Amino acid sequence: MPFSNQEYLHLLPFIIIGVGIVFSVVIELITKKSREILPWFSILLFFSTALYSIYTIHNKYILFNGMIQVGGKAAIFNFIFNFAALLITMSSIGYLKKYGSNFGEYYILIQSAVLGMMVMAGSKDILMIFLGLELMSICFYVLAGLNRKKHSANEASLKYFLLGAFATGFVVYGIALIYGVTATTKIDILIQNFSAQSSNIIFVTGLILFIIGFSFKIAAFPFHMWVPDVYQGSATTVTGIMSTAGKAAAFSVLIITLTAVYTVNSPNIFSPYFAAIATLSMLFGSIVALTQDNLKRMLAYSSISHAGYMAIGLTASNSYSISGIIFYLAAYTFMNIGAFSIISIIEGENDSRTNIQNITGLNASKPMLAAFMSLFMFALAGIPPLAGFFGKYYVFIGAIKSGFTWLAIIGVFSSVISVYFYLRVVVFMYFKNPTEDINTDTSTFSYSAVIISGAMVLLLGLMPDLLLNLILSVVNW
Amino acid sequence: MEFYDIIFYLFALITIGSAFVVVTSRNIVYAAFSLLFTFFGVAGIYVLLGADFLAIVQIMVYVGGILILLLFGVMLTNKITSVEIRTGTVHLLPAAIGIGILFGAIISVMLWTNWNISPEPIPPSTTANIGRELITNYVLIFELLGMLLLIALIGAASIARRDKE
Amino acid sequence: MLSIPIEYYLILSAFMFIVGVTGVLIRRNAIVVFMCIELMLNAANLSLVAFSSYHGNPVGQIFVFFVMTVAAAEATVGLAIIIAIFRNKLTVNVDEINIFKW
Repeated sequence: MPFSNQEYLHLLPFIIIGVGIVFSVVIELITKKSREILPWFSILLFFSTALYSIYTIHNKYILFNGMIQVGGKAAIFNFIFNFAALLITMSSIGYLKKYGSNFGEYYILIQSAVLGMMVMAGSKDILMIFLGLELMSICFYVLAGLNRKKHSANEASLKYFLLGAFATGFVVYGIALIYGVTATTKIDILIQNFSAQSSNIIFVTGLILFIIGFSFKIAAFPFHMWVPDVYQGSATTVTGIMSTAGKAAAFSVLIITLTAVYTVNSPNIFSPYFAAIATLSMLFGSIVALTQDNLKRMLAYSSISHAGYMAIGLTASNSYSISGIIFYLAAYTFMNIGAFSIISIIEGENDSRTNIQNITGLNASKPMLAAFMSLFMFALAGIPPLAGFFGKYYVFIGAIKSGFTWLAIIGVFSSVISVYFYLRVVVFMYFKNPTEDINTDTSTFSYSAVIISGAMVLLLGLMPDLLLNLILSVVNW
Repeated sequence: MEFYDIIFYLFALITIGSAFVVVTSRNIVYAAFSLLFTFFGVAGIYVLLGADFLAIVQIMVYVGGILILLLFGVMLTNKITSVEIRTGTVHLLPAAIGIGILFGAIISVMLWTNWNISPEPIPPSTTANIGRELITNYVLIFELLGMLLLIALIGAASIARRDKE
Repeated sequence: MLSIPIEYYLILSAFMFIVGVTGVLIRRNAIVVFMCIELMLNAANLSLVAFSSYHGNPVGQIFVFFVMTVAAAEATVGLAIIIAIFRNKLTVNVDEINIFKW
């Protein structure tokens, strides 16, 4: 059946990015100056999509025969993905020259990854989830290894590829079982039948396999083995977007899977599973991060423990805790991208200067960078008036509302452990004498990315209700 | 219907047997060639299930495309095929426990479930149906698939190309 | 034509899936691991086609078509990554691909 022009109009955020990718390919083909043009073109695309998504957040439509939704919580996720990509593109401009992978393809791949994430967050059909997941993952496999002369990048790319494809196998087999039981792939029909099917063991097995596949992508504990190496080996800016927007996209799918639980009060048969991975990820991530000297590796383990805090929200799975997860994802995006942007500024040639010793006495030479780094570290640790605190707070409150007080207590305990390694960075920057001269010659755009992230962290910390009320108003759609 | 049963068991045997060889063979070229038989066996079972279009696509994409790519990979990198991507011992015990649980769960679930699905009469050809669905209900996914292939090409070329300078 | 009960197809596919998972966990060569992942995907495709035929619903077959396309795209990228590693190994004499712990 033909689709009306109106439907294409509502699909505008996807069309902007999709047409943008094609245009970027053309730009890359016809001009040698594509490296100067493409970053700005990408920033334009991401900015307009983010703005349009948040502007039309209350226009909710399901398009193309129940394939995709625009507006509602998909719009908030689109905003997170596009904002993250915008900041990453800004800090890539100077960084890529230094890192040695200043290719036009980099920007095309980032755009496509964002398109894949947007498809995942807006899916109304399991097939769309699968396609979005693969579009995002394939872009990330390539981005991880884009600097093909570096062993660490090759290794990271291979490892990410093999484990990502392994996870895809689980997702596809899970989808096969779900389809076998219900004879449909429409998420709305699955939601209606969720309560009736939740005692059907094959449906549950299928969903468990599906969720295991996505547990790889959110970097939760038993499925975390790729995280430290991939985060350390990839380009710092790529790690920045992988760990924030990529995680947010995987969480958006998990939230879609549990929609029936928090909208129509179906039994949450998966809460033991999520409680287990939440506990293990929080404790494992926080404890192992204590021993890390490499900043990127330390943030990788911290990313595992943050996945654990967010999984608490999935365990509780009421409207409030789900909104908490979305808020947390937004906050985490800004804190983490800020931290990775600063590492990308400090980093030298060939992956040098990413250890904690390299930022000793940063305050003496670059007081502004040191101040922002401390801001992000405090926020990641969850010190009160900053964005990270409210992310954790909302998720924990949501857990207590559903009777998972013990999980919230473990969460608080793990946060206390994590304060040690975040503050260690601050101590190194302020209370030790510099051992080496840090000369940073990165462009001003990286600094602007840091400043914007810092401003957002402060804004979300000082006025958290602004975003939370917006999320609460659309979370059930 | 005895005849179909025999064909099914034959294909199932080919598929499973060669899958075992893929996993156990020490020689990577043998593994690649047994994968060929697995793909053919699966294509045969698709025919038994009345999925003619997919049987052809299976042979064209998997045998004609992916397997050839894999063999190219084996030939091009013959010097590193003996190199192992993991260090240390493989954790056999946890792996065995995990596989055992997964295996037991999936098989028992499949046996216990009363599928209660009555076979539908197989349409003479599925190709027209699939084609119609692809350009109507699934047109958005079809477009995205095109995007995905474009990106995979760009990505593969940018990782594998030689340097200009 | 569908005289064989659907369980037979499903058990065949479950066997293939388990064989694939086992291979990924115990084999150490990158290309063999990738082959085992292809086995897993084929197993999933097999049960999708079986369900699709028994339900008389084309969605399963369409999904298999998508999975095949995606598998082809993944194979392309995977081979490119392996070739990049190979290039580096030719120029730099390292006996192992291992820098990080697995």
